[in-house]
Formats: sequence, structure tokens, C-alpha cells
Amino acid sequence: MVADFTRDERVSALIVLGGLILAGLFMAIAGRNDLLGVHGWMIAAAGLWGFFAMVRGFGLPEPPATRLAEYYDAPTRVGLILTLLWGIVGMGAGFWVAALLAWPDMTFDVAWLSFGRLRPVHTSGVIFGFGGNALIATSFHVLQRTTRARLPDAISPWFVLLGYNLFCVIAASGYLMGLTQSKEYAEPEWYADIWLVVVWVVYFAIYMRTLARRKEPHIYVANWYYMAFILVVAILHIVNNLAVPVSFGSAKSYSLFAGVQDAMTQWWYGHNAVAFFLTAGFLGMMYYYLPKRAGRPIFSYRMSIVSFWGITFMYMWAGSHHLHYTALPHWVQTLGMAFSVVLLVPSWASAGNALLTLNGAWHKVRDDAVLRFMALAAIFYGITTFEGSFMAIRAVNSLSHYTDWTIGHVHAGALGWVAMITFGALYSLVPTMFKRERIYSQKLVELHFWLALTGTLVYVFAMWNSGVIQGLMWRTYDETGTLSYSFIDSLVAMHPYYIARALGGLLFLLGTLTALYNVIMTIRMPAIGAHDPQGDLPAEPALQAGE
Amino acid sequence: MALKERDEFSGQLTTGHEWNGIKELNTPIPRLLWVFLISTTVFALVWTLLMPSWPGINGYFRGLLGVDQQQAVRASLAEAEAERAAWSTRLVSEDFETLAADASIVSLVRQAGPPLFADNCAACHGLKATGNAGYPNIAQAPMMWGDEPDTIAETIRVGINAGHPESRLGQMLAFGRDQMLGGEEISQLADYLMELHGGPVLEAEARAGAETLFADNCAGCHGSDGKGMADTGTPNLTDPFWTYGGDRLTVRQSIYNGRQGTMPAWEGRLSPAQIRLLALYVLDLRGALP
Amino acid sequence: MFGFHYRIERSAMGLVGFIIVVASIGGLIEIAPLFTIDETVETAADMRVYTPLEVAGRNIYIREGCYACHSQMIRTLRDEVDRYGPYSLAVESSYDHPQLWGSKRTGPDLARLGNKYSDAWHVTHLNNPRDLVPESKMPAYRWLLRDALRTDDLSDHLAALRAVGVPYSDEQIANAVQDAYGQANPDSPEAAGTAERYGEATNLRVFDGLPTKLTDMDALVAYLQVLGSLTDAAVRTETAGIE
Ligand code: HEC
Ligand code: HEC
Ligand code: HEC
Ligand code: HEM
Ligand code: HEM
Ligand SMILES: [Ca+2]
Ligand SMILES: [Ca+2]
Ligand SMILES: [Cu+2]
Repeated sequence: MVADFTRDERVSALIVLGGLILAGLFMAIAGRNDLLGVHGWMIAAAGLWGFFAMVRGFGLPEPPATRLAEYYDAPTRVGLILTLLWGIVGMGAGFWVAALLAWPDMTFDVAWLSFGRLRPVHTSGVIFGFGGNALIATSFHVLQRTTRARLPDAISPWFVLLGYNLFCVIAASGYLMGLTQSKEYAEPEWYADIWLVVVWVVYFAIYMRTLARRKEPHIYVANWYYMAFILVVAILHIVNNLAVPVSFGSAKSYSLFAGVQDAMTQWWYGHNAVAFFLTAGFLGMMYYYLPKRAGRPIFSYRMSIVSFWGITFMYMWAGSHHLHYTALPHWVQTLGMAFSVVLLVPSWASAGNALLTLNGAWHKVRDDAVLRFMALAAIFYGITTFEGSFMAIRAVNSLSHYTDWTIGHVHAGALGWVAMITFGALYSLVPTMFKRERIYSQKLVELHFWLALTGTLVYVFAMWNSGVIQGLMWRTYDETGTLSYSFIDSLVAMHPYYIARALGGLLFLLGTLTALYNVIMTIRMPAIGAHDPQGDLPAEPALQAGE
Repeated sequence: MALKERDEFSGQLTTGHEWNGIKELNTPIPRLLWVFLISTTVFALVWTLLMPSWPGINGYFRGLLGVDQQQAVRASLAEAEAERAAWSTRLVSEDFETLAADASIVSLVRQAGPPLFADNCAACHGLKATGNAGYPNIAQAPMMWGDEPDTIAETIRVGINAGHPESRLGQMLAFGRDQMLGGEEISQLADYLMELHGGPVLEAEARAGAETLFADNCAGCHGSDGKGMADTGTPNLTDPFWTYGGDRLTVRQSIYNGRQGTMPAWEGRLSPAQIRLLALYVLDLRGALP
Repeated sequence: MFGFHYRIERSAMGLVGFIIVVASIGGLIEIAPLFTIDETVETAADMRVYTPLEVAGRNIYIREGCYACHSQMIRTLRDEVDRYGPYSLAVESSYDHPQLWGSKRTGPDLARLGNKYSDAWHVTHLNNPRDLVPESKMPAYRWLLRDALRTDDLSDHLAALRAVGVPYSDEQIANAVQDAYGQANPDSPEAAGTAERYGEATNLRVFDGLPTKLTDMDALVAYLQVLGSLTDAAVRTETAGIE
């Protein structure tokens, strides 16, 4: 890494890391009576580690000018590994919380092992750790390939990747210590939130600076999505995390809004975290890796346009479907439901665009587990969005809300769509990025595919069942006009499904472990010097298409 | 302009761009998608016309149907109330004897009672009402405040040692902590209670001492025979049921530290009919209904 | 339309601008009016603030992630009102920064929990739910009874809450630590101050059963016991509609 930096960049890095150390020390001292201090020390330690690495490498020769004729892929390589590691942490935590719901005595009197603290480790671990790293790693790759421009410098991508992972570590370790704002998917406390804004600004700057130097006149649809992901997540993150800290020496903060305004802001954020993190970002991924692997042109440019703007516009109205029948005014609920229903159209347009792109390549889907991951992801994306629009209908939501049905929907999207498309992209990228001839074992990919598919189906069907049963039990009346079941009755009925879900999750986790093994073994294979067989066209083109 | 080409497989033109080998077809949007978009949009618009929806700065469009979720649920609650009136008015207006003799009421109690009990009472008394440590067995043990249906209903309504202004108050004094009795004396009483429950037989002298202690300190509340008195809400100390536990240590603790269990008051949370229904349900668990 | 797009997609700044504009509309139209339309939040003259001990308890509720399993929002549906009590009103969480409405009911709704059970029950239940409810899936929170409550920064907490709009008085902020002790120890000299500053109706009790220790359990149980009773507005609204 240091070897890739110019002298100026090394100096800048030292300054940034010095600043990080100072900020960490400031937090450690101001927060010495608080858990903030622990995070202060962690940040200072991270800064110090980077500082020493930088100092040690400072004297290395500067990178040759010839590097500028090549794409800069080192951050992507590291990002891919981090994706897998966080995948295992996050899914491991998911499996553990699933097991806790089946066998609740596994807390062992250890506070950080309790359900309430581990659950956000799971959600943030998979969404931000696994998903976020996958998005950053692939976006750097896609951005360069589709603009035929190298990343603007070496330091900022590293700042984004490592800074982002520092955020993830602060977030997850904070939950274990009990530091949380309690807002779902926005749980990290104020100082972590501020840090993420800084990282995000640099991320956006990388995008703009690279686009400014692009050699393709048109910006490819994958980049529209990655840009929407970066921009809208920034807006959502800033507004939803507005809060007043108790003091500069305290990790705790109180959110600016209360009650109904806070709830609406939270679910405007929460729903669009789904839309722009778990959907837009991954659609960007899909729009590159799926046609690339299939060797087919995108089915319809026009459908890309309609679905992109439809998604960007309509998702932002839909958040209130998380608050049907609550103290949120009825009029907001109506708007949320109305837009959620129309939202199905652009959603299916993108799923359809992906699947129709495979026309002419279905034999490849049959033979190639990597492409099959991506095809299946598109199918699950279609299923999940249909289900989502259905659940957004008030009457349906009266049954599904608060139940495991929501959890089933989440994981149809999370496992079936987000994780599958990521694995597809990952398997296509790893050999190219590490300049290996192929993935270590195609058989293991095949095994992973079936583990993931079975795991997803077991998980999702268990939760659909338990959710619908739960919802029905809660609202069933008998002929005396009184409730037929107590809450405990419903709890008892859930037990078998909770066991099934834990098993499904375990299968999925095992699949992810095979991926890690397969990637490690691929990296350990001998490198090939030449350009990879199915990968990139040369960066310096003879003719600019489209001009 | 762009270098358009025709895709062999689909016969469509490309847009002429290429990004690292990826091309795009310029396939027109399928008619089906437009139909889909227009129909969902029409649905959404109609829905926002019917329901409260578009906001202004100080108010919002109320919708043509004039629906409001709060009014809607209040109406459905009132309707449910009316539907249940068939039996709920009987429950509050007729006496327990009549109610218990009516098979339709008994079957109502058996149907509506369990979920209501499980959602409100089972947390303390257990799903089968057989109690937990600190929470009496109300399915089998004699009731401290009396076994009469009206008494039970009243206990549920006002609670015991609860915040309710009419709450029943029952207190087992802290004889040891408040230094009314010495450790030795408490041990004697505990041994005495143990003997009553089939524990080691005391020597005559020790028993006499304990009996005096009991008569002087305890009988006022628990009755001279120790079988409890409904007007003080005391438990029978001679039967096999214990609220807090019948091992010698726990009994010593009861005498040393005293006890003041709280049974919440349910007035306000449960309706009068629900309270009487629960009283009947408890009676049924005790085998008192036909 | 596609021709227009053909131009837009050639300009990075253009795309950025369009994305921001298009994505901002929904949120603006749905969120901004919630601050300006008066009837969004009902008025309740009897609405009271949380005491410092209850604030601390609420923070423990957040710290332990209770909201991951428990909602505090009774929806306007007949079965929810029948099971849990009057549906929740916006005003009831108007001092909640952030709200804890929740999105999952692995355990029951807690919006009307206050006074449903005794303090002793909560202590036993939190210590190990399966001692009382064998079917329970809830974790055992044994450490709550062991850990002493942190109080030194309670004044800062109240001040921060005032900064976001909760009407605490200077006096309440200055005496936060004392008032927390007083509430959990009615026999102490501090108790009178708590009652004076927060009203006679405040629960002054030894919540955790340990008069000599102020534990996390004290704070959490104090908080649980006021859930749903900051104002009677919900009861009034519900009964108003029935006659
Ligand atoms: C917070 C725990 C708790 C809950 C919930 C609870 N009880 Fe009780 N209940 C008690 C305790 C403790 C006592 C004994 C009080 C004492 O002796 O001081 C008691 C006593 C009683 C008694 C009187 C027993 C006697 O011997 O006279 C009846 C009847 C009763 N409960 C019924 C109910 C019903 C019906 C419900 C539900 C609506 C209910 N309880 C809910 C804790 C509870
Ligand atoms: C002021 C009235 C009063 C006096 C005097 C009194 N008791 Fe009690 N006792 C009670 C009440 C009321 C209870 C039930 C407390 C409860 O359930 O929370 C009780 C409960 C008990 C229990 C616990 C029973 C169980 O089921 O676990 C024991 C043991 C007991 N008393 C023994 C005694 C002895 C021995 C004495 C005399 C030294 C005594 N009591 C004097 C009122 C009294
Ligand atoms: C893993 C999920 C889970 C977590 C986390 C959890 N609970 Fe629970 N809770 C439950 C379940 C399931 C029940 C129903 C069974 C029972 O009463 O134990 C319950 C019941 C309760 C009840 C009784 C409600 C009633 O009306 O009967 C209270 C009070 C409660 N929980 C408080 C808490 C608090 C406070 C926390 C955090 C410190 C918490 N819970 C964390 C699952 C959870
Ligand atoms: C090994 C696989 C996984 C298992 C066993 C698992 C298990 C769980 C469990 C038990 C919960 C809590 C449900 C509840 O509270 O009732 C949960 C929640 C959640 N999981 Fe997973 N999970 C897995 C993978 C994933 C992945 C890959 C993602 C995302 C990419 C994900 C995203 C989420 C989200 C967003 C929630 C919160 C849902 C909500 O609050 O509605 N999970 N998961
Ligand atoms: C058209 C698209 C979609 C719509 C209309 C939609 C709608 C919904 C609805 C109605 C809920 C339940 C809200 C509630 O009752 O609390 C929900 C929850 C959720 N959905 Fe979707 N959904 C869509 C797509 C997706 C996708 C693709 C994902 C990807 C993973 C996803 C992830 C989630 C998550 C994580 C939650 C749980 C939120 C929470 O309560 O914590 N959704 N969605
Ligand atoms: Ca946050
Ligand atoms: Ca949730
Ligand atoms: Cu949503």
C-alpha cells in the first residue's frame, strides 16, 4: 500500500493519521470516565498503527509513472477480503441471535452476549460490514472500467476503505458495550456518525474526480446507481442522525427530533437505507457483473432509465409504510402505501431488465454457478420487491407488521438478493483482481450456491410461516368476541420455526465459509502475468465508442 | 454519432456505446410495463383521493371517504363492545351464583378465560395459576382473603398492597429485622411450623414455648390455629401450600424480614366484566364451577 | 424523454443535481408538514417529563436493546387495543428522543406496561425471565442488579434533553443526581426534593428491593413503571369516542 503512494501522498497520509491519533487521544481524555474513552483509545491505536506503517514505508521508492496507464485495484482486492470477513462476522452473529431465540439461555450472564446487543452487530455487520465493503470494492472496480480512467490518486481510496472499516469496528464494538442510538440501521453514536460523513465526502469526491477524467462520454447505468447510493445515503444519514451529545466527554446523545417526527425521519431513513444501500448500490453491481459474465448486452437502455428514476423518486416516499396504523398521521401512511405500490413497477423493470439480459445466455446460467448466483439474485430481487409492495398495503401490513413475516421479507432480500449478487460479483472479480487464472475450485462454488439457496429457502419459508401464524394468532377472535390466543400461545407456536431458521442460517453461513476458503486458496494459486482471459479491454483505447 | 449495431440474438439495435465490453440494447419498453405503470399509478391516485393524503402547510386533504384511523378503530371497538354486551352485561349485573349455574356462562368462561388470564395474570401466577415463588397458587391453595366469588373479584379489582386507593393491605411484619423477636425465637417458630408440616417432632417443652410465641405474636393475624384469617388476608400456615416456600430457611426469612407481596389492581386496565370473568375462571380452575 | 436523458447522462454534475432534486421531494413533502400541522401532535396539559432516574432507566432500555424485541406503539387496531390497552397517541412520545416505537414484537408491546406488574416481579423477571415465564425467549439480565447506576452525569443528560426541547427547569437540571437517589430511596432526605420537583404522583420506591444500593435495576424498573402513564390523554381519547 505505502509503495503505491507518492511522496506527497505519504506526507498527507502522515498528517491525516496524525490527526486521527490526536482526535483519538482527545476522545480518550475527554471521555476517560465514559465508554467514549474506550473508543478514543481504539481510534488512537488504529491511527498509530497506520502511522508506523507509513513511517516504515516512507523511504520506499516512489511508484513508477507507468502505473498511471493501469487501473488501481489494490483497494478493491483488500475490500473483497474485508467483505468476506465481515460477512462471516455478520452472518455468524446472525446465526447466534437466531440460536438465542430458539435457546435463550445462551447469554451466559455476559452482557455483550445478550440478544439486544448482538442483534445490531448482526444487522450492521451484514449491511455495513459485508454489504458496504462489497459496494466500495466493486464501485472502485466498476468506476474505473466503465470510465476508462484510473482512480484519481492512491490515498483517497484507502482513506475511504480503511476509514469506513474503522467506522464499522467502532459501530460493532460500541453495540457490544451498549453504545447505541437505538435507531435501526443508524445505531452508531454521534462521533461515529460524524466520522462516516467525512469518509463519505471523500468517497463522493473520488467518484466525481474519476468521472471528470472519464474517456467514455456517457456515464454507464451502474454508475448512476452507485452515485445515487452515495448521494442519497449521505442525505439520509445526516438528517436522521441529527443529535445533541450529552457532552464532548460522553458517547451518549439525544436525537434532535422526538416522537412522531423522529419516527417518520427514522423510517424515511430506514426504508431508504434499504433502497439506496441494499438496492441501488447492488443494482449498480448487478448492472456491471451480470452482463459482463453473461457476455450479453443489457436488455434495454430505456428500461434502465425508467427503473432508475422511478426507484430514485418513489422510494423516498415509501418510508411511512413502516408506520401503518401508528400515531403517525393517517395522511402520511396513505402516501407511503400509494408510492410503495407504484414502486413495484420500476423494481420489476430492473429485475426484468436483468433477467431478459440473460436471454441468449441461459445455457451459461445452467453451467456456471457464478452467473447462476446473479440470476437467482435478480429473481429474489423481484420476489422481495413484490412482497414489499404487498406488505405496504395497509390491510396486509396490519397482519405482517411486528411479526416474523417482516423478518422473512428482509432475508428474502438480504440473503436472496444482496448476498447472492455479492457472491456472484465476488467470484467473478477475485480471479481478475488477483490475476489468477481461475477460481480455485468451481465445485466449491457450486456447493456454495446450493448451500446458499437451501439456506435461504429454509430461512425464508420458516419466517413466512411463523410470521403469518403469529399475525393470525394475535388477531383471532372467537365467537364470544374475545381474543382466542394469548401472547404466550403465539410465542410457543414460534419455537419450531426459530429452530428451522437457525438451521437455514447455519447452511448459509457454511456457504460463506466455503467462499472464504475458496478465495484464500485462489490467492495461493500462482499468478498469471498476462491479462486475464475474460476481463478488461485495454485502458488506452484505439477508438472511443459512442463518439 | 454512436456506432450502432444489431444484436444477433434479439434483433435489437444497440445504443452504440460500450463500457469495457458491455453494450446496451435500445429495446423499446414493453407495452406491458406501461400498462403496469399506468394501472398502479391510477390506483395510487384514486387511493390518495379517497383517503386522507396530500399535505399543505397547516393541514391536509381529508380524502373523499372521510376516513380517519382513530375514528375507525373507535367505531370497531364500540361495535365489539356491543357484540360482547350479550354476555358482559349479564356478568356485571347478575350474581355469581346465577352465573355459575348457567352453562352458557361457564362455557364462555372456559373459552375467554384462558387467553385473558395468560395475558394478564400468568406472568405471576403461572399459566395454570399454580403460582411461582412469591406468587400464590390460586388454583388450589385456600384464598388468603376468602374463597367467595365476590371476594375474589374484589381482590382482582383493587389488588393487594397495590396503588389503588381501596387496595387490600396485608403485611407480614418483619419480626426479626424490626427486633420484635430474637433469632432463637424465630428458629423456634420455624421449627414449630416445620413440625406442622411433617418435619422433625419437637420436644414437649420446645413446642410449648413455640406455641406461646405463636399465640402472642402470630395468632392475631394467622388465627389461633394458624389456619389464616380472611379479614387480615393471611395464609394458612398449616396446609401444604406456601407462597414463598416451605423450607426452613425461607420460612425463617418470611418471619425475619416480613412479607408484603403486591397483587396489582386491575380496575381501569380490565373492564368490570373482564374482572368478574376472571374471578369465575379462577373459581373454575379451583373446581368450583359445575 | 430518452433523448433528454441521453444528454443528462453525459454530465456528472447534471446527474448529481437531478438525483438530489428527485430524491428530496418525497421526504420534504412527508416530513416537513409534520412540524407545521398542529393536529399532528395532540395537546395534553397533564403531560409530564421523565425523572432523572427514569431517564437513566430509559437509557438502559436502549443500551440493552430491549427495543429490538418490544414495541411501544399500540396500533389503531381492535385486537391491539383489546390486548394492550388504548392505542398510542403521538403526544405520549413527544418527549422521547428518540422514540422507541419499535418494529418487531418478539415480546409483547410495552406501551402500557406501567403499573401492570409489581416492582418485585420486574426484578425477578429481568434477572431471569424463565423463573416466572418458562416459555420466555427473553435474555436473563442478571447484571442489572449487580451494577451500580452511573449518576454523575445526569445533570448533563437533562441539559442535553432540554437542548432538544424537553422542558426541564434549571432546578431540575441542577438537582438531577439527588433526585435520582431520592426516587429510589423514599426514606432518604433527598426524596422530598424529588417529590417536590416532579410532583406527588411520582413513584418513590425502592424499585430493586435493595434500599442501600442504587442499581441499574432501580432505574430500569422505574422507567418501565411509568410506561404509558406520562399523560392520560390516550385513555381520554379512547373513552371519548365510545359513548
Ligand atoms: C405482579 C404479579 C401479579 C399479577 C400480574 C397478578 N397477581 Fe394475583 N397476586 C399476586 C400476589 C403477589 C398475590 C398475593 C399478595 C399477598 O398475599 O400479599 C396475589 C393474590 C391474588 C389473589 C388472592 C389470593 C388470595 O389468597 O386471596 C387472587 C384471586 C389473584 N391474585 C388473582 C389474580 C388475577 C385474576 C390476576 C390477573 C388479572 C392476577 N392475580 C395477576 C401477584 C400478581
Ligand atoms: C400483621 C399481621 C401478621 C402477623 C402478626 C403475622 N403474620 Fe405472617 N403473614 C401475614 C400476611 C398478610 C402474610 C402474607 C404475605 C404475603 O403473601 O405477601 C403472612 C405470611 C406469612 C408467612 C409466609 C407464608 C407463605 O406461604 O410463604 C409465614 C411463614 C408467616 N406469615 C408466619 C408468621 C409467623 C410465624 C408469625 C408470628 C411471628 C406471623 N406470621 C405473624 C400477616 C401476619
Ligand atoms: C430476545 C428478545 C427479548 C429481549 C431482548 C427483551 N425481551 Fe422482554 N420479553 C421477551 C419475550 C419473548 C417476552 C414474553 C415472555 C415473558 O414475559 O418473559 C418478554 C416479556 C417482557 C415483559 C413482560 C411484558 C408483559 O406485559 O407481560 C417485560 C416488562 C419485558 N419483557 C421487558 C424487557 C426489558 C426491559 C428488556 C431489556 C432489558 C427486554 N424485555 C428485552 C423478549 C425479549
Ligand atoms: C447466516 C445468515 C443469517 C442469519 C442466521 C440471520 C439471522 C437473523 C436474525 C435471527 C435476525 C433477528 C430477527 C428478529 O429479531 O426476530 C436478523 C435480522 C436481520 N438481518 Fe439477518 N441473518 C442472516 C443473514 C443476513 C444478511 C446476509 C443480511 C443482509 C445483507 C441480514 C440482514 C438482516 C436485517 C436487516 C435484520 C433486521 C430485520 C428487522 O429488523 O426487521 N441478515 N437476522
Ligand atoms: C418495492 C420494494 C420494497 C417495498 C415496497 C418494501 C416494503 C417493505 C415493507 C412494507 C416492510 C415492512 C414494514 C413494517 O411492517 O415494519 C419492509 C421491511 C423491510 N424491508 Fe422491504 N420492501 C421492498 C424491498 C426491499 C428490499 C429489496 C430489501 C432488501 C434487503 C428490503 C429490506 C427490508 C428490511 C431490512 C425491512 C425491515 C425494516 C425493519 O423493520 O427493521 N426491502 N419492506
Ligand atoms: Ca447514528
Ligand atoms: Ca426492525
Ligand atoms: Cu420499507
